[in-house]
This record gives sequence, structure tokens and C-alpha cells, in this order.
Amino acid sequence: MPVESPPPILSPALLAQLERLELVSRKIYRGQMKGERRSPRKGQSVEFADFRSYVPGDDIRFIDWNTYARLEKLFLKLFLEEEDLHFYALLDASPSMDFGSPTKFEFARQLAASLGFIGLVRSDRVRIETLGQSARAPGPVFRGRRSLTRMQSHLSGIEPVEKVSLAAGVRNFSLRNSGRGILVLITDLMDKEGYEAALRYLIARQMDVYVVQVLSAEEMEPELRGDMRLVDCEDDDFTEITTSAPLLARYQRTLAEFINQAREFCNRRGVAYSLARSDLAVEQLVAGYLRKQGLVR
Amino acid sequence: MWPQWTSMLPLWQWLILAAIPPAIIALYFLKLRRQPLLVPSTYLWRKSIEDLHVNSFWQRLRRNLLLLLQLLLLLLLFLALLNPTWQGSQLSGHRFIYLVDNSASMSATDVKNQDASTRLDLAKRRVAELIDGMKPGDVAMLISFSDTGYVVQERTENKRELKRQLQAIQPTQRTTSIKEALRLATGLAHGNRPARTGSPEKPAAVPDATEEPATLLVLSDFRFDDAPDFSAGHLLPKLILIGSPDARNVAITSFAARRYEDKPQDLEAVARMDNFSDQERKVAAELSLDGRLIDSREVTLPPQGQQTVAFPLANIDTGALTLRIDVQDDLAIDNTAYTVIQPPRRGRVLFVSPGSKEWEKALRTGEAGKVGNVTRQGPQYLLTDEYQRHADAGEWDLIIYDRCTPKKMPRANTFWIGRIPPDEQWKKGERVEVPTIIDTERTHPLMQKIEVGDFIIAEAALLKPPPGGVSLFDAAEGSIFAVAPRESFQDAVLGFEFDGVNAKGEPVNNTNWPLRSSFPLFVHELLLFLGSGITVGEADVLRPGRAAELKSMTAGVTAQVRTPGGRTVSLPVSGETLSFTGTDEVGVYEVQQGPGPVRQFAVNLFSPAESEVRTRPEQRFHAGDATISPGENWETVRVSIFKALLLLALAVLMVEWYIYNRRVYV
Repeated sequence: MPVESPPPILSPALLAQLERLELVSRKIYRGQMKGERRSPRKGQSVEFADFRSYVPGDDIRFIDWNTYARLEKLFLKLFLEEEDLHFYALLDASPSMDFGSPTKFEFARQLAASLGFIGLVRSDRVRIETLGQSARAPGPVFRGRRSLTRMQSHLSGIEPVEKVSLAAGVRNFSLRNSGRGILVLITDLMDKEGYEAALRYLIARQMDVYVVQVLSAEEMEPELRGDMRLVDCEDDDFTEITTSAPLLARYQRTLAEFINQAREFCNRRGVAYSLARSDLAVEQLVAGYLRKQGLVR
Repeated sequence: MWPQWTSMLPLWQWLILAAIPPAIIALYFLKLRRQPLLVPSTYLWRKSIEDLHVNSFWQRLRRNLLLLLQLLLLLLLFLALLNPTWQGSQLSGHRFIYLVDNSASMSATDVKNQDASTRLDLAKRRVAELIDGMKPGDVAMLISFSDTGYVVQERTENKRELKRQLQAIQPTQRTTSIKEALRLATGLAHGNRPARTGSPEKPAAVPDATEEPATLLVLSDFRFDDAPDFSAGHLLPKLILIGSPDARNVAITSFAARRYEDKPQDLEAVARMDNFSDQERKVAAELSLDGRLIDSREVTLPPQGQQTVAFPLANIDTGALTLRIDVQDDLAIDNTAYTVIQPPRRGRVLFVSPGSKEWEKALRTGEAGKVGNVTRQGPQYLLTDEYQRHADAGEWDLIIYDRCTPKKMPRANTFWIGRIPPDEQWKKGERVEVPTIIDTERTHPLMQKIEVGDFIIAEAALLKPPPGGVSLFDAAEGSIFAVAPRESFQDAVLGFEFDGVNAKGEPVNNTNWPLRSSFPLFVHELLLFLGSGITVGEADVLRPGRAAELKSMTAGVTAQVRTPGGRTVSLPVSGETLSFTGTDEVGVYEVQQGPGPVRQFAVNLFSPAESEVRTRPEQRFHAGDATISPGENWETVRVSIFKALLLLALAVLMVEWYIYNRRVYV
């Protein structure tokens, strides 16, 4: 945790905008605490769910006396329970995220903060973690609007210096967290070992998984000239290129293919995929982009 | 057409140079410094490159574009050093004089296979090519020539002006004579400084010995005579033969209307046609009078042969005759001939004599009477005012002075017997006894039909005619009969009398010529030539470009000359003779003065030299002492692309620089 107060990730105006939103889960999960979301458990909300026969020991306050008067049998009225939602934001904090203007990691941090704040406002259980955390050291849990400052300083403390593969990071995350809920994985998916194994871990957890692939403008439209020696920032691997129009065209094709493969992989497995450019403005990101992606409403 | 290589370097230097390309390649790969760039991931790049590697020799080439350009640059430089040259059409030398023949024969169309419509077009194209080949600083001059030379373009460096003036050279219908053009070329050849266009140039009187000789290029079909008095001097003559040895032509080489000898009242038109080809030709000859067809004839011309055709012209007194032969040949201008039947006019002749039986007899013949109206007078008549008035007014066409002399020369043709004209021009030499006539001028109209030499003369005076005079009878000691022009008149002087006196004072004959048949013929010719109204220009063959002289004009009244092309020229007439020089076209010219009758004269090519269009490549041209044949001395400079290669190398260098700096994507 950094001691100095970091610059706020979210501006007050943005916070006001985010307050009106809520996270959308495509699945209904059991929560741990009372919250604002419908739970599969029956509970004490005002919304009627079902009847069941009375068994001794049941709270007699929920006996439906009108039914008893008609049928002379005791039935218990069941109500829908409203519980909290588990929201996980899993950030890729590898050095490769530290590129672009603003950097991909900045973008990821803002996105995580925005979503986390929406969750906080709706009393959801928000947990923001990175791929580099070990399996035994889970990140802090934030709940309630008051946790905003804490969440922000936690986010500010994360630096894109973790050198871990996507698959290993996701496996560790799965080991750390047994609960279900919404998982937003924010990464560039640029892993030489492939992203498929990593995503399979998440799919196996039956979580509501969102993958946000963040790419910088430099990656999408590289402006390179001349003879270059491209050095990979993570493994110091290098590739020598002489830029030429066919090579750049070839790169564009490769990139488009890569993105399409990722989208198809996700869509086939019920994972929501979205692509974002790191230079997207925060306001646009939230109001337009996230809403369009169906993650918030 | 492979170039000839001439290395500019010795072998050992080439060996050193040979080491450069491997060095460049080595240095290129050794020094290839790629700019390191940290990227998020090389994942996609690696995939892209792997894809590219699959297909690709060309990708490699692209990657090494700069290296390739450097090697290309080096190759170009090496080629430049090897100095490849081709045999070109560029001439050696720096000063050129182009003599372009634009005579009638240059209108021949036998050069169609060389992509030119006429020989002149081909010659102009050749000159244009040579002008294109001129190096900076070279100067050239352009002269066109037919029977005379004409400076089309003074000496200049300006190629564009030269070519513009070259295109302005038009074909003429004149005959060919190179002498005038050679004289012009020699005169203008000297002097180093190029004259400004259009400024008159002063030819240097003495050529500078250190000066480079000018190259004289004659483009012609060589239908002209040698120039024996031409001294090439500071000129290097080179001939370019234009035309083909297989050209075919049929020509009318003479055409005239003349009277039958036995039926003097009727005319006949006589034409001679020549076949200048190796095949027999059948041609249709059509004769028309004033545009109206009056006769036609099919004429068969043997190979290399000629045929004379006569058309009877009954009851025709005047008009313009046109003879056209319908034939496909390479020169069209000589397929039509013109002649004019002059209306008969009897001349007025004054015969002044103390009495001469022979002459009076000869002048009284019927033939003589048809030609002229002869008046006889004694020598005292010359002293009268009447004579003086008539003589000054030009009343007589011819005055014959037999042993008498007027005070001053009359305005008429004159014939003198035993006396010389009173002006200072004529000189009488010593008297010789029994002179033998050793030569006569057979070409003169007076002498053409006369055989002389079979008579004897007892005594004659030697004559010295003025400049321009022609001796007609040459005795061993000198001339005894001469003719000389005076203004528009002719004076013929006979150095001997017909009637002399012996020592006792008795009349004797000085010559027995009157007893010979040639004498009345001579008198007839004399009346015809000097005493009839027909002038030389009207009676003789007039070729294009020659001046037509028309006598008996009214002084002070403007004459209108209408050319065959339809152009009308107004000419002021100052004397009795009109001289018209604009006879550039063949055809019939019409002259009208005031309300007077229309007079006509015809201009014809009638030149076998022009009509013989076959070129003879083996022909030699003798100019002074030198004998030049077409194609001889034909040295051309080898065209080198040395500079072009260097420029190309520079261009490659600039492309390389651009690619290197701008990182152009290819």
C-alpha cells in the first residue's frame, strides 16, 4: 500500500455518472450477505416467491393465514431473498500492459475502478486482483460506498511489473477465490503460450466471465519505419523487421485474425468478449462503451 | 547492334573496382543497424514475419532495397567507365554547311519505302537528324540550291531555328546547278563566331589557317554537272545521295509548235518523250489547246529510249498548247509540257545600203518577205530627220547597215556589214586576207541551221566585241563575225563586206558566200532572229527560274502577269522590254498591258538531266581537283551513352537518398 495519497482514479463527475448504473449479471448467484440482488435463496424481501408446507420450527410469522382459512392447512409463504453479488476484477499487470498513451494498464485500472464503484454503490462484494498474486494471498474485499477510497488506493498501488503468464495468473485466481459471480478479466491477451488455457479455467468455474481485451493504438496501427529490432518487454525476445507496406498489411491481417479468434473462442464458450482501445476516454468508456457491452445498465 | 566497349581504366584498376561490390554487400550486412524498439509483445510481429517468410525471395529483395540500389548505382558507374558506344549519325566536326537540293528532280516520289513522300522530304529529315546530332557549340548553315543557291539560314548554333528554316525549304521546279551554292558556301564558310540569326554576315576574305575546316554536306540526287573551278579550300565536302537507282520516269523533254516546211500556213506540234526506265512504257499523250482536248495518241517508249510525236494542228493560229502524258511515274512535273503559238507578226526591217545585189536578192525572197517587211534606203537616208525620229522611237525591229554608219545607235537590233557600230564598245582590228573560218558558234540561234566554211572571203577585218559578246565566226587570227547585246537589243557585226572595189576602182565580190545555199538561209535566220517581233524569251525554251523578256511593250503602262498558279503580279514597264523573273512554275503565263491583247509565254522543265531520276551510286562528283563520291568521307562519331549512364546513376542515387530519408514503403 502506498503511503502518499494517489491521484483519484475516478473524478467526482464520473462518480456521479456511475452512481446511476448497476452491474448486470447474466446469471443469478448466491451471495454471502444481504444485498440488493435477487438470490436463488428464499428470504425476506417483499417479493413473493412460493408456498411450502409448514413444518414445526418454521417462523409462524410467514404462515399464510388466508390459505389456512380456506384449506385448513398451514402453508408457509416464501419470499425472494435479495443478496449481494460477487464482483471480481482481474487485472493483467504484466509489463506489456505498460504501453500506449494512456497506457493499457491505466485504462484497465480506470475500467476496474469504474466497475468496482458501481458494485460498491449497489452493495456488492467487490474484489480487485491481479494475475500476479499468489494463490494464497487473496486481495482485499470492498463493500459499500465507503470503501471507495480504499479501493482506489488499492488500485493505485498496483504497478504493471508482474511477470506471470496469463494461464498461471488465472489458475492462481481460481485457487484463491471459490465464490461465483461476475469476473471481468482485463488483459491484452498477448501471451505467447496462448490465452485459451487461461479462459478455460474461468469457464470451468461457471462464473459470468467478461473478457475486455485492451490494445493500445500503437499495437492496432503501428507507425514503424525503417529497419527495426523489436524487443519484447516481457521475455526480451526480439524480432528484426524491415518495415514495408506488405509487412504492415500483413501485421494488420494477423492482428485482425488474432482478435477474431479470441472473440470467437469467447463467444462459443459463453464468455462476453469486448475489445477496447487504451486511448478511449473514461466518460465514453462508461457511458457508452460499457453499457453497449452489456456489462452495466 | 551491340555496343562497342572501350574501357577507360587499365586492368589493375578494374581489379580494385571489382572488390567494391563484395565490400558493399559485406558492409551492408555488417553495418545494418536496426533501431531497437521495445514493444508490448513480439507475438503478432513474429507471426506476421513467419507468414511473409513463407513466400519470399521478393520480400528479401524488398528488405534489401537500399543495398540493391547501391549495387545498381555501382553497376551504372562501371558501365559508364566501360564507355559503350554505338555507331551514330552524328558527324565529326564542329562547323557544318548543309546544302539541300530542292530542284525539280527532288520532287521525285521514289523514296516512299524510306517513309518520305518526296526526295526533298527525305533530305530534310536527314538534315534534321544531323542537326539533332549537333553538339553544343557546333554551328551550322543551311543553303538550298537548284539552278542557283539561296542561304536559307545563316550560320547559327540555334538548332530550333535551323530546323524551323529547314522545314521552310520548298521544292522548286528548277534545274540543278551546284556551282552557285558552292560559291555561297565557300564565301560564307569562314569566320568562327556564329552570327546572330538574320544578321548579314561578312565572309572573311582570307580563311584563318588554324580554323577547323567546315564540313560541307550536300544532300542531293546528283543530277548536276561537275564544278571544275571549285576549290574545296577550307571545306570538307561530303555527299549524301538521296533517291533510288530504280526510280522510273517518263518525261516530255521537248515540245514546240512549228510550221510545216512544205505547208507554211499550217502548224504542227512536235514533242519528244523520253523513257528513263528499263521497262517499255506505253503512255497516252493528250494534247489540249487552251484547256480543250484536241488530240491524243498512244505512244510506246522502248526501254531507255525516246520517241518523237507530231500532232498536226490545222487551222490553228494562236493559243496555248498543253501536252500531258498519262503515266504513273516517280516525277510528275515533266509529264506536262506547254507551248504557246504566237500570233504571226511581221517584223519591220530597214536595209541601208549603197547598193548590194546579193543582199537585195536575198531580202526579196518569199520566205524573207513572210518574216519581215523590208524597207530599202541609201546611206544618205541616215542623215535625215525622219530616220532619226524613227530610229529613236524604235520603229524598226532590225536595221541592216551595209558599209555605212549612223551617228548614233538606233533603238533597234542592228546588223553591220563591213562596219562597226559607232559606239566605243566595238573595236576593229587589223584586216586579214583570205581568212579561214576555223570555228563557228553552232549553238547561237543565228547559226543553228547554217553550214558555213564552204565559201571564201577575200579580205576581212578582225573584230573585238564588247563584254558579253559572242564570236560567231572565228578565223585563225580572230573573230570576223560577232554578236553582242546592247540594252535589250542585239548587235551583230560582220567583219567583211560583200561588195568591194579592186585597185582599179571596179566593183568586185569580196566573198562567194551569196553563191552558197547557206546564205539565203542565213538571211532568213537573221530576219527571224533579229528582225521579227518574236523575242528570244518568247521563241526559245524558257526554263523555270529564268527571266522572260517580252519586247514591244508600251513604256509607262503597268503590265499584269498571271502565273499558271493563278497569282497576278503587277510590273511597271519602264522601257520597251519587260523582264519577268517570277517564272518559278512550269505552265503558261499570261501578260496583259492595259487594254491590249493578252500575250502568253510558256515555261517548261525540258531537262533530261532532271527527268533522269535514277540515281547512280557509283557516280563521282568532281569539284576542282577532288573527286568525291556519295558516302565517301562519311565519318560519323560513335555515340556514347557515357553521360546518360552517369545521369542515370545520379538519379538512382537520388532515389536511394529519398528512400533512405523518407523510409518509403515499397
